[in-house]
Amino acid sequence: MSLTPSFNRSLWVFHLNSGSCNGCEIEIVATITPRYDPERFGMKLVGSPKHADVLLVTGPVTKKMAARVKRVYEQVPDPKVVMCIGTCGQSGGVFYDSYSLAGPIDQVLPVDVYVPGCPPRPEAIIFGVVKALEKLERLEAAP
Amino acid sequence: MAVISPLSSGFGLWGPLFWVLAFAIAFIIAFAIWSLGTASYKKGTEQGRPYLSGNPEPEKGAVHIRAGNLYWGYTEGLKGYYDRIVPLHTGIMTDYLLWIFWVTGILLILVVVI
Repeated sequence: MSLTPSFNRSLWVFHLNSGSCNGCEIEIVATITPRYDPERFGMKLVGSPKHADVLLVTGPVTKKMAARVKRVYEQVPDPKVVMCIGTCGQSGGVFYDSYSLAGPIDQVLPVDVYVPGCPPRPEAIIFGVVKALEKLERLEAAP
Repeated sequence: MAVISPLSSGFGLWGPLFWVLAFAIAFIIAFAIWSLGTASYKKGTEQGRPYLSGNPEPEKGAVHIRAGNLYWGYTEGLKGYYDRIVPLHTGIMTDYLLWIFWVTGILLILVVVI
């Protein structure tokens, strides 16, 4: 739901772990600490994909998680942006040849923003969110 | 009119009309905020289904909590009793008739003979 233009930059983010080692999760938690405090811009993590503008996916997608990742993606209302946090989601990382992978995230979902790193620093995640913001503005400007 | 007139108690003023007015104003404000929004979800898709950590929504019957769950502790506490009693309830009419026959016979012996 979009209220007024003044809320457009207040992105609500839903984080989904598709098989991550928790390294990226620790950095995501570090990102929302008072040191960086993205909540002063209205950006925060939410508990349901139905409330989110951005889907933050961490980890390589395991076979067990592939269907769930797709379902969560479909539950995020439009317009939406998918952010891939960490190297695992981009290439599989150290798990690239694992028998249990359905593949990097872009083989399961259309990814808009990649934030590389193992794990990426909070500054990189915030930079990725800014890129997501630009993408969302383009999507909302489109008829 | 005495019913809707304000009541002055020792703790303040209470009037049903004030309450109705307050609810009406609250409803108008809530409706104004709600009408500013735009429904962005698509009906009939996953966006309309509940979020269950990405798991598929089970059939309604599969998550139904049966009435027996309400007194689970009771039956669990009296398990020794129920383990013996439940098998006797076979659901076969002739079994129940035999029970009536035997109980009536024993009662007759108790009452008439003794």
